[in-house]
Amino acid sequence: MDATILPEVTAVGVIIKAVLILAVISAIAGFGTYIERKVLAFMQRRLGPQHVGPYGLLQLAADGIKLFTKEDIIPQHANKIIFSVAPAITAATAFIALAAVPVFPDFTIPFVDVFVPSIASDVNVGILFVLGMMAAGLYGPLLAGMAQSNKWGIIGSARTAIQFLSYEVVTGLSLLAPIMMVGSLSFVDFNDYQSDGTWLVVYQPVAFVLFLIAGYAETNRTPFDLLEHEAEIVSGYVTEYSGMRWGMFFIGEYANMITIGVIASVVFLGGYNDWWIFAGWFMILAKIAFSFFFMLWVRAAWPHVRPDQLMWLCWKVLMPLAVINVVITGLVMMAG
Amino acid sequence: MGLEKFKDRNVGTQNYIKLDLTHPPKDGWSKFKQVLSRAVQPELFVGLWVTLREMNNALFRGKMHTTQYPLEKLPISPRYRAIHDMLRLLESGHYRCIGCGLCEKICISNCISMDTRYDENQRKEVSEYTINFGRCIFCGYCAEVCPELAIVHGGRYENASEQRASFSLFEDMLTPIDNLNLQQEYQGFGAISPNADDNIKKTPLAY
Amino acid sequence: MSEMQSVENMVSIKIDGVEYKAKEGEYILNAARANDIFIPAICYLTRCSPTLACRICLVEADGKQVYSCNAKVKEGMEITTTTPNILEERRAIMEVYDVNHPLQCGVCDQSGECELQNYTLELEVDSQSYSIPDTKRETKNWSSVLHYDAGLCIVCERCTTVCKDMIGDAAIKTTKRGGAALDKSLRGNMPKDAYAMWNKLQKSIIAPSNGTENTDCSDCGECVAVCPVGALVSRDFQYTTNAWDLKRIPATCAHCSSGCQIYYETKPTSISDRTEKIYRVTNEWNYVSLCGAGRFGYDFENRVESKDTKAFANAITAFNKAKVINFTSVITNEEALMLQTLKEKKGIKLINREARAFQIFLDFYSKASGNSLYTTDFKEVMKSDFVMSLGTSLRNDNPNARYAFNNVQKMNKGAGIYFHPVGDTLVPTFGRTIEVFNHKVGYEEAVLLLIIELFADKDKLPNSVKEQLDRAKLVEALGGDSAKFEKSFDKMMKKKEKFSLIVGEDLYFHQKAENIAKLIAVLENCSDIKVAMIPPKTNSLGVALICDLDDEADGFTIGYNASGDFRLSALGDGDLDMPAMNQQEGTLTNMHKRVTPTNAGLDYHGYTLNDIMKEVLSAPTHTIDWTPLLPTDKGFKAIDFDSLPNGYSNDGTENRGYLLDTSTVEVGDIEVNKFDDSIALDGEIAYRCNPQRQFSDFTDKAHQIFEEFALYASPKKAESLGKRVVVEFDNGNLELDVKVDDRMAGDIVAIPDFKSAENIYELFGASRYQKVIIREV
Repeated sequence: MDATILPEVTAVGVIIKAVLILAVISAIAGFGTYIERKVLAFMQRRLGPQHVGPYGLLQLAADGIKLFTKEDIIPQHANKIIFSVAPAITAATAFIALAAVPVFPDFTIPFVDVFVPSIASDVNVGILFVLGMMAAGLYGPLLAGMAQSNKWGIIGSARTAIQFLSYEVVTGLSLLAPIMMVGSLSFVDFNDYQSDGTWLVVYQPVAFVLFLIAGYAETNRTPFDLLEHEAEIVSGYVTEYSGMRWGMFFIGEYANMITIGVIASVVFLGGYNDWWIFAGWFMILAKIAFSFFFMLWVRAAWPHVRPDQLMWLCWKVLMPLAVINVVITGLVMMAG
Repeated sequence: MGLEKFKDRNVGTQNYIKLDLTHPPKDGWSKFKQVLSRAVQPELFVGLWVTLREMNNALFRGKMHTTQYPLEKLPISPRYRAIHDMLRLLESGHYRCIGCGLCEKICISNCISMDTRYDENQRKEVSEYTINFGRCIFCGYCAEVCPELAIVHGGRYENASEQRASFSLFEDMLTPIDNLNLQQEYQGFGAISPNADDNIKKTPLAY
Repeated sequence: MSEMQSVENMVSIKIDGVEYKAKEGEYILNAARANDIFIPAICYLTRCSPTLACRICLVEADGKQVYSCNAKVKEGMEITTTTPNILEERRAIMEVYDVNHPLQCGVCDQSGECELQNYTLELEVDSQSYSIPDTKRETKNWSSVLHYDAGLCIVCERCTTVCKDMIGDAAIKTTKRGGAALDKSLRGNMPKDAYAMWNKLQKSIIAPSNGTENTDCSDCGECVAVCPVGALVSRDFQYTTNAWDLKRIPATCAHCSSGCQIYYETKPTSISDRTEKIYRVTNEWNYVSLCGAGRFGYDFENRVESKDTKAFANAITAFNKAKVINFTSVITNEEALMLQTLKEKKGIKLINREARAFQIFLDFYSKASGNSLYTTDFKEVMKSDFVMSLGTSLRNDNPNARYAFNNVQKMNKGAGIYFHPVGDTLVPTFGRTIEVFNHKVGYEEAVLLLIIELFADKDKLPNSVKEQLDRAKLVEALGGDSAKFEKSFDKMMKKKEKFSLIVGEDLYFHQKAENIAKLIAVLENCSDIKVAMIPPKTNSLGVALICDLDDEADGFTIGYNASGDFRLSALGDGDLDMPAMNQQEGTLTNMHKRVTPTNAGLDYHGYTLNDIMKEVLSAPTHTIDWTPLLPTDKGFKAIDFDSLPNGYSNDGTENRGYLLDTSTVEVGDIEVNKFDDSIALDGEIAYRCNPQRQFSDFTDKAHQIFEEFALYASPKKAESLGKRVVVEFDNGNLELDVKVDDRMAGDIVAIPDFKSAENIYELFGASRYQKVIIREV
């Protein structure tokens, strides 16, 4: 709407934004592990990390040091190249996806007068790009599991394939309805669509729920964390990984969690618009934080499903619901 | 925490909740009904509520479960089987062990050994006694078989050490002579039952 | 003998309704045991007389209650081992035994193998009905090895019985305890036998029979072995370990030619030293009796922790240039065969003095008699009722021969004649009908002539013998009174059926050995007397059979536990260490003509003779692989070591190894030389004879055997000699302390040969007696 009055997006601004995203999201992903442990602990009336730094805050640093200094083991019969690259795929796709996601409002760095956009690359097919990148993220676990020459890894990667591919469908269909309403694939447009204070979730509650469920499945979160189901397949596709390679899977997973949080916030929960007395930047942080917290909460409260239940849920429940939702949205729009 | 819970071993009288399990649905219609009835029940939200409530309890109502172990310790049961104690006779201060070798014999991990000798007082003296705690499985048979209630299990469970030999010596297990007044009778496996007197047949003393 | 076991003498009896066969005249208890039927018995010892102390072996035979240890089986006898009344008696007996028995099982050495514990549990005694004030009973050390705790004693009298009936020392007896008298009202109110047992128990206790605090005996420790409770224990063993911690290794005693069955009982030395140590030696005391050396002389092992490759290389060099191997009889058959192989393949000469003398004697004997080996063994001697001994110091040379001689007197109402130049005060106490001839040295032929005269069928005798027979003259020549002897001999001969003669080392080391061997052959041909020979040392018989020994040899000599230019030694003092007999597997040939297996009680980590054989010639992997290769033409059998049994069955049958095969060929008449006293010795005579518990360097090494290497003499003689003397032989001198042996009599002194380093055999040469000059220093 007001795009015309925005300053020019320079290459410097994009690079600064990209570095910013990488740094902040990595840090948050790491910090997310601390938060996850703390929250889960509290919900089980435990204390959680306690001894490294005040309230165990430096546990993150300790874990980082541990991961960086740990021996990097590549199994003898593994395909070494693929085994080495796979964690990078997971991490890279997770961060690339964030390129098209608006993370903070636009701002201009004072004095040097460099404009930093809210979004690193406001491609006009932003949602498509993000979904595409997240889908490409499938290759990380899939290749990792297949390259490590380990039966648990193979089962883990097989589960990755079916789970990710299946829930791509639900994600896509569930987002289709809001897209139809907004008429754009750009996140900025979604944000602006909701600037009147009415969130899309009000119009599309079913799509929101479906998106959340599918999002959990795609980020490999409880109750759908079957890719590395400890009780069944040791650690699934990460069985043979150690040290920082293992850490990259972890960072990728948490980055994806944030991505899902961002998409949910921007698409359904009003984006970074100001709300009441709260500034837009605070609102978007609060929303992302809540959606992150909700993932942890769910993990504390709900059990796993079985792989067959997962498939049943996807193809027999969620997908039909998503289709019906799209149809009804279309009908309503035609009527309106 | 009191010790009452440890002493209550009437596990058979607890109230178990019996599940009323129904048969799984057979035809499609009843399966659909089951899905529906389960889906509309707010069970998932109950789960969310419970975890949130517990978090609230933990953070704000002081109901945190965690015992911060090296700083705080829970009381242990007198029946707990940790590193052995060798007790002394309260009257004389002499150690109770007579060197009968029954603990050595009964030990199923074969970790007790003793040397005995004929001493200056024409008695059997235990000259060396060790328990190999690298092998001991703390089964408590030695305490049970001991006819003198000399070897018992103590409460010392923090037994990490750089060397296994560190506390396998008789002297280390023996009650220090200056702490004789603090010596406690063992309540656990092998201890005398409260009605022991009733179970013993007495030798007649007609003279 | 063999007809004893034949079918005609078997009777049928019924025990608890089942029919069994039993030997006629056997006690019910033994018959039951032989048929694997359990009858409780505490005081009874097989091979000894029943004492009726415990009365627990009550059974019902043909409706009457009898003591099974004392009642003999009869044809058709019906025996019931348990009736309600018997069970009541037995339980009462056990209750009585438990009255005032200290509850100190925790520290008692017998705990775990205690018969009082066993029978108390067996008879399910769970309460006590009797009581009596206790008497103060003191703990005493009776000797260097015996510890007696009177408080634990149940006065079963097994110790006194075995000491009297088997060992012959009769060093302990029951004496008054001074205990409280039983309440008379008990007489009618408690089981009869239990009352009688208690009545006796309450009055008696065990004490040394000489009235002092100390026993005067051979310290054989057999009383310790038979004690059912912890009352009698070895002082060295006391409180050092529990019975169940010991590992029992069946073996054969390596000290003398008796080759007794023993168990080495081992356990790690201490908590800090985990090397195995022998804690004690036990035996199947119902069937075999040990001597002090066997029971207490067990720690003679050669502790070698690693292979000394340098010494081994030296040994190989030595063996390659050796001309002679000098060795003792403390050696297994397998090792003897190795040495014989060396002789055959490399022409090395073999020297073994004691075995050589025995070999020559055996050779003379079999040439004269046609028997490949002497005709009887000491188990048979024990069954005879008239036993004679010639040419052996019965008390010192071989305990089994002595036990047999004694046991014949005690158990078979036997008689005995003991011919020996050295006076002995113990032998006459074995029985009432024992004649002792302390004849002159060199009169051994006369002894044999007298025996021939007494027992032989005169018609069968060759003329060369017949013409020398004159009973009165012979008796007088041997130092007896012929009139008196006639009288006592008549008494001795009453109801006698089986006759045997023990001969010993004096005859092998004798200038007229050939003539003596011939006389023995004549004796056997013409009378019922069976002769048993005592091989001089442990495995002298085996060595004599296996090795082709040489008389003299010189050149580079290897000594195996003996002197030489290069010494192999199991004593730890040689150029290369060898395993001692308690560290070796192998077989020994004992005086019962039996090849018995022995096992390694303790580890040995050095080289063995077989390792040397592997380098020098070729040899199988293990020493015991030689066992089936032992010469079958000498009576050995081609049986693998691992299939040799080593134990006794319940009826006392000895299942140990195998008996040597013997053969007999027809031979012509025997021509003997006329006896003359040309070699008789007069004046100061030394006799080569060991103290009772010393046999070799190995017994000397054991810490509980302390009999010194000294000159032993009768108390009177010792007094005249002084404290320390020089003994002058023809070919050397010896300086020795004088020790009193209060069971010796006469003027002959004994000089031991158990220290091989002292070269006693060289000094004595071809005889066990030498004329010497003894001066005090």
